[in-house]
Amino acid sequence: MRRVTNHPILEIEDKAEIPIVVDGKTLYAREGETVAAALTANGIRVFRHTAKRHEPRGLFCGIGQCTDCIMEIDGVPNQRTCMTIVREGMVVNTQNGNGNSGGKDDGHV
Amino acid sequence: MEHDAVNAEIVCRCEEVTADEIMEAIRNGADSLDAVKKATRAGMGFCQGRTCKRLIARMLACYYEMPVDRFLPGSLRLPVTPVKLSLLAETEDAADEIQEGSACEK
Amino acid sequence: MGMYDVIVVGAGPAGLGAAIEAKKCGASVLLLDENDRPGGQLFKQIHKFFGSKEHYAGTRGYIIGQNLLNEADELGVEFRLGVRVWGLYPGGGVTATDGETSVRYFARKIVLATGATENALSFPGCTLPGVMTAGAAQTMTNVQHVLPGERFVMVGSGNVGLIVTYQLLQAGAKVCCILEAAQKISGYGVHAAKVRRAGVPILTGHTILRANGTDGVESVVTAKVDERFRPIEGTEETIECDTVTLAVGLSPRIELAGVSGCKMAYSPALGGMLPLHSDDMETTCGNILIAGDLSGIEEASTALDEGRMAGCRAAYALGYRTSKEYEETKRALLNRLNALRAGPFGEKRRAAKEALWNTMR
Repeated sequence: MRRVTNHPILEIEDKAEIPIVVDGKTLYAREGETVAAALTANGIRVFRHTAKRHEPRGLFCGIGQCTDCIMEIDGVPNQRTCMTIVREGMVVNTQNGNGNSGGKDDGHV
Repeated sequence: MEHDAVNAEIVCRCEEVTADEIMEAIRNGADSLDAVKKATRAGMGFCQGRTCKRLIARMLACYYEMPVDRFLPGSLRLPVTPVKLSLLAETEDAADEIQEGSACEK
Repeated sequence: MGMYDVIVVGAGPAGLGAAIEAKKCGASVLLLDENDRPGGQLFKQIHKFFGSKEHYAGTRGYIIGQNLLNEADELGVEFRLGVRVWGLYPGGGVTATDGETSVRYFARKIVLATGATENALSFPGCTLPGVMTAGAAQTMTNVQHVLPGERFVMVGSGNVGLIVTYQLLQAGAKVCCILEAAQKISGYGVHAAKVRRAGVPILTGHTILRANGTDGVESVVTAKVDERFRPIEGTEETIECDTVTLAVGLSPRIELAGVSGCKMAYSPALGGMLPLHSDDMETTCGNILIAGDLSGIEEASTALDEGRMAGCRAAYALGYRTSKEYEETKRALLNRLNALRAGPFGEKRRAAKEALWNTMR
């Protein structure tokens, strides 16, 4: 898991570094990237633990359809990290279960 | 709660339903995606069966020795993607302001 | 208020094609997409497309995407991004949410271009971080410029599996092998040859038995399978890797078409359950047309042309074109679609499409 810096076809632009807070620690993301990409680039691939079996989950479909990658972002649970663009100072927490109240109506998926 | 050994064969990723649990429901008489859903919760989670439907349909098709399309597409209901109940109730007709402008604006 | 001639759901190549053509004909068009950026899956396609000059042969997917966006923009197509359509109603109502509010639009014609979902595979350990779809790895690598792993095992030797393998290599990853359960490679020979030349073995008649690891994939166990896909005892092998990418097919994303009551058909050659449609891209619901992978898993070039067909048909049905004008456009597009569906690979899809059209008649 690392940032791609050289590529035979793609032009890899230098993007501004943006600090985000993940589980209390400050990490650096790049402007315009998704939360999932920022975490992956920083070596993190466990995004949450499931409600029933407490098992680790991370990126699966990458395009917002499966909801495996959800985490708590700025206090709101069940946010699809593969669809959310980083913001400076964003607070991201590894989610346990289904978020604050566990219901499907809480938070926005 | 008792788990299987680490790394079970999960079919419904959202509700963490294993292949064994689904087969048990089928052996106990579940003969459709809806019946499997009622018995195990498979297909009830956030993705509403998008990821697991095909897999469960194949398990049903294999067990009942029928073509897989007998069990698809299963029931489809609004909303097709989870939406906060409060938003559903507060749906408003679109305002005029979006008629202006054209470029890709959010 | 919020009333349009045509609302297009999905801004991938099919949706963009439909919006552009309908707008060119003079219709008022609103294009909705759940992503923050339009283009669908085009922007992660960094390989060169095949086909004729009109099909942008030799052009990379993401360049085609950019050209389409420019065209739509210049024509004044209205976009609404980051918006998910959650309901369709008789009478042309389209309800969508951006998470904060929920809004209802109205359209006289609706073009659904909702694309496809990648298929999942179930095996012990399939939920471990590190197991993902090939498309997820492709998006992360080509769009986000982050490699989601270092040592990959690819499952599936169709074009997606072959192409994504090559793109992972281009980004600097190691791909240990491609596992294909069938006895022969299912993608194009030209892609397979490229991958083999790059040193990646394609193991036909092999499957993945399980993924091992505690917090993520650490290894996988593979086995040989017979022609009935049953694992052969004693052939298990362990491969150390950190990522397993699944390229086991796509299925049309039919939810919206389904809740609207569009009649479905089962077409294995085109990805399974999909809405029945005519060669004008009309469904059994009078005001709903479809285009792209939703109408059958093919390629971006067919998606684009089908989108154009749907856009023109919708505009014609609303009175923006004469029947003569429409028939000319339709004939030209059908010729191009037939050209795209030529050859041994395309033939199956062409036959499957014709069977659907005939069922509609």
